[in-house]
Amino acid sequence: MSEYEATGSLNLPTESMKIMAESVGVAGLSDSAAKELADEINFRLKTVIQDATKFMHHGKRKRLSTMDIDHALKIKNIEPLYGFSNQDHIPFRFASGGGRELHFLEDKELDIADIIGGSLPKLPLDVALRAHWLSIDGIQPAVPENPPSLSKDQQRLESSDPVSKLAKIGDKTQKKSTTLTATNKPKTETVQVKQLTAHELSVEQQLYYKEITEACVGSDEARRAEAFQSLASDPGLHQMLPRLCTFIAEGVRVNVVQNNLAPLIYLMRMVKALLSNQTLYLEKYLHELVPAVTSCMVSKQLCLRPEVDNHWALRDFSSRLIAQICKNYHTTTNNCQTRVTRLFCRALANDKMPLASFYGALVGLSELGTEVIKAFIIPKIRAIGERIEPYLDGTGQANADRIAASHIKQLTIKVMVPILKVTRQPPDNVDDYRQEFGYLGPALHGAVNRARSQTTTTASSGVISSAAAGSLGLSAGRGTIVMGGASGSATTSRNQSSVVANAASNPTKYMFVTSRPSTPVQVTAPQTTQVVKLVSGAGQASKQTVMATNQPKYVMVNSSQIVRAPIKMEGAEGTSEVKMESSVVIKTENITILDD
Amino acid sequence: MEYSMNQLPQAINSDAKTQSSENQNSEVVSDNSGGQTLDSENVDSNTLAAVLQFLQKHNLKGTADALKKEARLKEDQLRDAQALQVDSEATNLLSSYKSEGDPNAYEKAYLSYRRFVESSLDVYKHELSLVLYPLFVHMYLEMIYNNHENEASKFMERFSIDQEDYYQEDLKKVSFITKKEHMKGSDLMENFKSSQFTVRMSRDTYSVLKRFLQDKNQSIVMNVIQEHLYVDMYEGVPRNKAQVESTAGAMEGEANRQVNKTKIYYGLLKEPDIQLSVVEEEEDGEPGEGGEKPKKKKPKKDPLLNKKAKSDPNAPPASRLPLPDLRDIDKLEKVRALREASKRVALGPDSLPSICFYTMLNCAETVTCVEFCEDSSLLAAGFSDSILKVWSLVPQKLRAMKPAEQLADIDKEAEDVLVRMMDDKTGETMKVLYGHCGPVYSASFSHDRTLLLSSSEDATIRLWSLQTWTCLVVYKGHIYPVWDVRFSPHGYYFSSVGHDRTARLWATDHHQPLRIFAGHYSDVDVVQFHPNSNYVATGSSDRSVRLWDCVSGNCVRLMTGHKGTVSALCFSTDGRFLASGGADQKVLLWDLAHGHLLADLPGHTMTISSLAFSRDGTVFATSSLDGSIQLWDFFRMTDESSLEDVNISGHNPDLLKRSNVIESLRLARYPTKATPVMSLHFTRRNLLLAAGMFEG
Repeated sequence: MSEYEATGSLNLPTESMKIMAESVGVAGLSDSAAKELADEINFRLKTVIQDATKFMHHGKRKRLSTMDIDHALKIKNIEPLYGFSNQDHIPFRFASGGGRELHFLEDKELDIADIIGGSLPKLPLDVALRAHWLSIDGIQPAVPENPPSLSKDQQRLESSDPVSKLAKIGDKTQKKSTTLTATNKPKTETVQVKQLTAHELSVEQQLYYKEITEACVGSDEARRAEAFQSLASDPGLHQMLPRLCTFIAEGVRVNVVQNNLAPLIYLMRMVKALLSNQTLYLEKYLHELVPAVTSCMVSKQLCLRPEVDNHWALRDFSSRLIAQICKNYHTTTNNCQTRVTRLFCRALANDKMPLASFYGALVGLSELGTEVIKAFIIPKIRAIGERIEPYLDGTGQANADRIAASHIKQLTIKVMVPILKVTRQPPDNVDDYRQEFGYLGPALHGAVNRARSQTTTTASSGVISSAAAGSLGLSAGRGTIVMGGASGSATTSRNQSSVVANAASNPTKYMFVTSRPSTPVQVTAPQTTQVVKLVSGAGQASKQTVMATNQPKYVMVNSSQIVRAPIKMEGAEGTSEVKMESSVVIKTENITILDD
Repeated sequence: MEYSMNQLPQAINSDAKTQSSENQNSEVVSDNSGGQTLDSENVDSNTLAAVLQFLQKHNLKGTADALKKEARLKEDQLRDAQALQVDSEATNLLSSYKSEGDPNAYEKAYLSYRRFVESSLDVYKHELSLVLYPLFVHMYLEMIYNNHENEASKFMERFSIDQEDYYQEDLKKVSFITKKEHMKGSDLMENFKSSQFTVRMSRDTYSVLKRFLQDKNQSIVMNVIQEHLYVDMYEGVPRNKAQVESTAGAMEGEANRQVNKTKIYYGLLKEPDIQLSVVEEEEDGEPGEGGEKPKKKKPKKDPLLNKKAKSDPNAPPASRLPLPDLRDIDKLEKVRALREASKRVALGPDSLPSICFYTMLNCAETVTCVEFCEDSSLLAAGFSDSILKVWSLVPQKLRAMKPAEQLADIDKEAEDVLVRMMDDKTGETMKVLYGHCGPVYSASFSHDRTLLLSSSEDATIRLWSLQTWTCLVVYKGHIYPVWDVRFSPHGYYFSSVGHDRTARLWATDHHQPLRIFAGHYSDVDVVQFHPNSNYVATGSSDRSVRLWDCVSGNCVRLMTGHKGTVSALCFSTDGRFLASGGADQKVLLWDLAHGHLLADLPGHTMTISSLAFSRDGTVFATSSLDGSIQLWDFFRMTDESSLEDVNISGHNPDLLKRSNVIESLRLARYPTKATPVMSLHFTRRNLLLAAGMFEG
């Protein structure tokens, strides 16, 4: 619209004139007459609209309304167009096609019976006046009515370039001094040097901190939900961030040692709430958050009874947090993702690592995106297989270890299938898989085959390749990731049939998903949007991209996992009745995770 | 003679707008001559002829005859004048755009002038470039007039982007005119045709220009400059780019220096002595009140208050404008104000004011104006659905007067008669006033909080009683929407402005305006009374600010520099300065003594909505529809702009334009979440109140 205005060439064409003439019963309007009319009407319309903008400005609005046009007609001594006034803004819809663009008004047909029979519309709320302090003695208080006192951009600037803050202060003092000299006022050299002391929290903030921390780790579930809600949405928390982060770090340190699963879960949920708060920029506090979160992933024991408690969910949850942290706050200066990746790789390479930690490292890597999986997990599948094989097959092993091993196996299959499906050309040969992946080969083969049979649309493959290309480019640009040394030794796989059976029995929980892709329309529509969004987005999204485009059902699987995780968390400390209720709550949470 | 010829059609035009009916006719004439009667010698026979012609054209025979009789004009004399008039109008309307045979000559002429500007010395370049815009517009109009439509639109397309940004909006309007017939009804056209575009130039620049015109034999350019430009020449060094830009931008060019020569009394009126004695009495009478020490109060009094007591050399004589006598209730109010003032917080860079923000909820895009009353106890809001709401901001509820029969029972001698006559049963925190039939564009409280004025799209101004909560008077005079109305700080008088390009001064007990201030070239959007009530400032869509003398009715200051519609005005506490804000997102500060621009305060990103000076005149607050409030160090602003070092030739002194200085003057900036700020107000104790509607 604005570009038309800029050139001033928005004019009614002569054809419209003819059509309008016909509509009032004047047939066969000559071209020249139509042109004259069009010119005249263009002029009149434009002057009316110019006048209407005056009414808009005086109404302190930014959008022109139909009433403005009426008023403008009135001052031109023209009868207004009665019946076209509208309280709301006209919901013009836009359509284009055949090189023509059209704004039109949707004219819905209403059934009079609905109007008569329907309930009365709600009364609009009355105008209310509400006072708050925009500033107290020159300082803007951090209340919900006020915008966050330090915008996220500013926090980012300050954390990435602390000098800018200093420069600003210096600038101010300098300015002060120059202007003082300019006025030749008696001046005293009072340059205030700000001491590097910890920022004092106001009494309200101290109270808030106390309440929040108690609620987060306390036993009242409703209060906890409120506390998380507050952490995730309240503006102006940035002053308390150092305290909150220290609280989390200390809490994790203590509880990991004492193997208290529940507090760890709460602390991780705190991290998640802080991460999702739009007004916070956590980069300055990563040195506390990253170790805490990683501890919750790779610690060898997180709960008192590893065989019974579902600490795997905590590891999964934390790994997603780490992935999100990397995605949001990775910069070339902090090299966050590189360092995290290296940490996990080293853990994978270490043979003495307990299986639980091994799982943590693996899940951490797998959350970091397709490229990371391709670079660091695929070469190690053989080693992973070797590692878990004795626990799964052998007898007389500790029960905990067997559970850990089977978790690792499931995870590997879950992570690898979408990638293998794309990278490897069908037909799949069991022997090839065994050759390449050793012990896990047959299981992978079975899963990939199943996945292939479920994918239907060929259109998606085109999308995938483009998405993959995009993510490739991104990773090439980073180029700092070094391949961890992968050693693969040949392993014989026994008990093949049981593995397949195992894999086959596993996906029962994916059942509701499998039906999804059978409706191709549904699949393709979200696919395209997903791709556009993610390719243009940050590079870290690449993993999700492929997941989303390649196999929409895996996104769902993924989410079902997420759903599962917190349920188990609740179950870990609560009763089984709680489980059902909380699952609903958490599901909604998951949707936001996916949307992120 | 030439001048008056040019002005005539304009006069007729503005008259045509102001006259809705016959009976207003006489008032217009008398206003133009500053209250003199018709038989005065001063009435130009040409003016009369113009009026008569207008009357005849509109078939107002009775008035025409009456006017003839009254003016004792002889018929033949009239005929002469009329012939002359018709003749002059014809020449003015038609032949001012002479036909140039070749439409392409314009393009060539424009190009050659542009080349000349580009190649001239840097010293002269900026002043010479001022001619480009009027030259361009007049050339375009000439082409249209001579039916070279295609060439004209090409000309427009090719050169309109050369023009300054702030002219683009006008150019858009000009470009709508694509036919000779369109020229007739267009307001903008009439402005260009009838008025002269003022260009200020140094003598040297002017001689350079003259030499160019003579050497190159530029007849077209010469014509335009002679016909439509007024060159305001001054001795001295040509101005630089910043100086030129700071005052350019108005529809009629720059302010003519001659206009701003009149002396104006910008000082404050002497406060009546009576109040001091009342203060003492009151203090004696209530020694125990609040445990204050009344004796200490006197020496502690503000310097500003003391100054008020002395007579200001710049203050107008007290008898200059008749003001209503103080009633007892006014005196009590003054005492209250003084007592409040003594508790005032001294503001400065180190002690910023607190801001209390009133957010109006559930009314996105329907609130058209918000206004606080002087003592901050009431808030009025006008809505686009024609209603007016008044809130009480203090615990006292809004009460209506008792019905007449009950009032009769009250003892009139009682101390608390004012309290007794109010009906407690009617107490509410918010009252609605119904009456207008169009959006309410402004509201203004009288200083005693008993009256409220409102102006609306329905072209009326209504006076409401805040005691009976009814409409008392409907003032009909404007025939187009009234954009703004404002009570005088002393009550009784009020002033209104509107789409009809006039500002009017009214008294509450007259149903017709006392003065009509005509002179703006477009809508007058905002009006503000000087603290001494003797002057009225108006801001207009022609991007100029004018100051009018309420006594003589003359325009005494014309200030140009805004690049968009002026949307807010505010006088400084001491009456010397005027701040204006506009749709161009600028806040400009003017020195009324000479009409000079002192400072240009940037930083807002949308139309400026409101301006306010703290009660002690140290802090200046600006607000904008972008939802932010900024505070400025006004004390230093005036301190640093060398007020005494005033250039006699009428230049603006160097602006406080160096960005670091301006930045250091800004004390703070407070954003809101999603609330465009619509109104600002400092309470008597220097708390800043702000209001706006939530748009989230």
